[in-house]
Amino acid sequence: MNSTAINDRDKKVNRRRAFSRQDRFTLGAFIGLPTALHIILVWIPALATIALSFTYWTGIHFSDIRWAGLANYENIFQSTPLFWEALKNNVVWLLWFGLIATPLGVLLAYQIDRQIRGHAFYQTAFYIPVVLSLAVTGIIWNFMLRPDGFVNGLLGRDSLNAVSFFGDDRWNLYVILTISSWRHIGYIMLLYLAGLKAVDSSLREAAALDGATEWETFRKVILPTMRPVNIIILVITVIESLRAFDVVYIIYGTSGAQVPILGTLVFQNISGEGQSMKGAAYATILFILSIGPIIAYLRTTFKEDVK
Amino acid sequence: MSVEKNGVSRRTLIKGAALGGVGIAGGATVLSSCGSQAEGPMSFGARTVDESPTKQLKALVAAYEAKTGNTVTYNATESNAFQNNLSQYLQGTPDDTFQWMAGYRMQFFAEQGLLADLSDVWTDLDDQYDSSYKIASTGTDGKQYFVPQSWYPWGLHYRKSMVAELGLDPENIATFDDLLKMYDAMSKKGIVGFAAGDKGGWEAMGTFDIINARVNGYQFHVDLLAGREKWTDQRVLDVFAQWELLLPYTNKNVLDLEWDGAMQLLLQRKAGSTLMGSWFGANFKEQSQADYDDLWIIPFPEINPEHGVDTIDAPIDGFCVAANGANTEVGKDFIKFAGDKEGMQAMLDSGIPMTSANKNQDTSTYDAFQKQQLNVMSQAKYITQFLDRDTRPDFAGPVVGPAIQAWYKNPKDVNKIVDSMQAQWDALPPL
Repeated sequence: MNSTAINDRDKKVNRRRAFSRQDRFTLGAFIGLPTALHIILVWIPALATIALSFTYWTGIHFSDIRWAGLANYENIFQSTPLFWEALKNNVVWLLWFGLIATPLGVLLAYQIDRQIRGHAFYQTAFYIPVVLSLAVTGIIWNFMLRPDGFVNGLLGRDSLNAVSFFGDDRWNLYVILTISSWRHIGYIMLLYLAGLKAVDSSLREAAALDGATEWETFRKVILPTMRPVNIIILVITVIESLRAFDVVYIIYGTSGAQVPILGTLVFQNISGEGQSMKGAAYATILFILSIGPIIAYLRTTFKEDVK
Repeated sequence: MSVEKNGVSRRTLIKGAALGGVGIAGGATVLSSCGSQAEGPMSFGARTVDESPTKQLKALVAAYEAKTGNTVTYNATESNAFQNNLSQYLQGTPDDTFQWMAGYRMQFFAEQGLLADLSDVWTDLDDQYDSSYKIASTGTDGKQYFVPQSWYPWGLHYRKSMVAELGLDPENIATFDDLLKMYDAMSKKGIVGFAAGDKGGWEAMGTFDIINARVNGYQFHVDLLAGREKWTDQRVLDVFAQWELLLPYTNKNVLDLEWDGAMQLLLQRKAGSTLMGSWFGANFKEQSQADYDDLWIIPFPEINPEHGVDTIDAPIDGFCVAANGANTEVGKDFIKFAGDKEGMQAMLDSGIPMTSANKNQDTSTYDAFQKQQLNVMSQAKYITQFLDRDTRPDFAGPVVGPAIQAWYKNPKDVNKIVDSMQAQWDALPPL
């Protein structure tokens, strides 16, 4: 392994020497420009947000920034019951996506890949919602389920006796989750389907010859060969659950307190006439929650791959 | 126009040079007096995209253009989006004049230096407004930053034809008990007495305001919202206890409906009354003239004889001039026109119901519903803006809104709810 590494390095050096000035300029621009943009548009605002979460600031004059220490975090953890509700909702969201929506997407992909009857129709039908943005999804389902909406109309209920899809906190979170899954399932299905198409069909035949059942084939043959796709899907599921915002915002508006989630808390506190950087603190918490598990997971997987 | 431009740049120059005070002050006065004949294009930012108010504001803009020859660009933004973006908007390239609200919300941005000082505009408008409007237009530094357009009272709205059919007469309601009796009669006929919506999280604040004012009086309400009284006070619990008496007559899906959902219940005769600001008269009129003529308002009845019906929520809407606008002088000229009787008349002539804040307004053209609004208003001694305009914005929206929603879900939790509200008030950052 050592010698190949050295060979590689030699090759690289040779190749680099062969670059003309123009090549170097082009490559530099290709790497440099996106990196610069990325740093300016992503990392600087992110780091600034983290820094601001330790201050009081109205967001208007730089001279007004005052050090607050951990006060915004204390405020969130100790005095804001809405935060814990939001955290709970995000966890439920993650569990729902992880245990129900994502597996359903995988299952659909598997069935469609096996070319069950009408698979082209199913594929299109389940993929259509993905074409719509989450905001549009929210608008559509709001029209469907609001008290004077389509579903209550079908049920023959006027707005006084309407089924309370969005107002009753016994199930409104699950209504929102179902709406979000409507889109998420199709998204996962498509990603997984693309992966499945790449699986060598001889593997499946070999498993069948060895007498493996359908489930065993899936679990012991397909799933391991799909490893890179699995990682992507897992990461997407975690990110989608934590960054959830659009549907709740569209349906409940700025207040969003009926189904509080971290995304709406960030927005509510950082926009408008917010007086502190509590919103920045929420954003930082969300950032840590999202980045932590993903980095940890990716590190362990890549380590295994290197071995 | 070129004079105007020179004026601005010269003023900036002098400011930058930081020369002695007296000479500059004199120069600035001369220059700003040029502003009364301000010329040039300007832009106006409307905080609405709805049909009726748009028609009204466009009438104002057209009248101003016709009078001065200045061209006005009309930019409209949906009201929630406008509110959420205001601070970025004012720091960027804002419209010269824009629609906003009086009270705390205006004062905050004035303190940040984002609004233009309108004291000189007010010297011209002073004799056209009652002092309460000037106070509502004044920032914490004693200067004016706001010009009122209109106001609307929060009261009990009902349909005259509906109560007549039921043989009821709300105008004779004096006390809360009478109100409950009326709701009883309605509920026997299968009609919801008190239509409410609170999905948006702000609608029911109006109900809290009025019951608190009726039970505990104006002073307690103001002190509570300013943090001088505690939410855990027995008097706050009394408010919720009183409110709870309305729940049997309230629709069950309060948290499913926004303000317009509650309004629809009244419009469709499914509910007998609703507590809301009279602005929705315009929505009734959009529906039909007959519906509008049927609409009526009375003050929320007395609960504690000590306070009678002496307080009312009557938010004032109006205009501000952005400090960072491209053409502040024309913006000021426009706002003066808007606040003047003449500009108000242009808006009234659009046929969209509005109650002018200008005291010299000719009210003879007002229809019966508008006159009744004036009547309701005149019965009150104290005027409050609205909970989310009378207290810290980082408390009203994020704390009071969810707290009232939680109360609607489970009124039995009231002790827990007020404890949490007080804890969250105490945890607010210093201003």
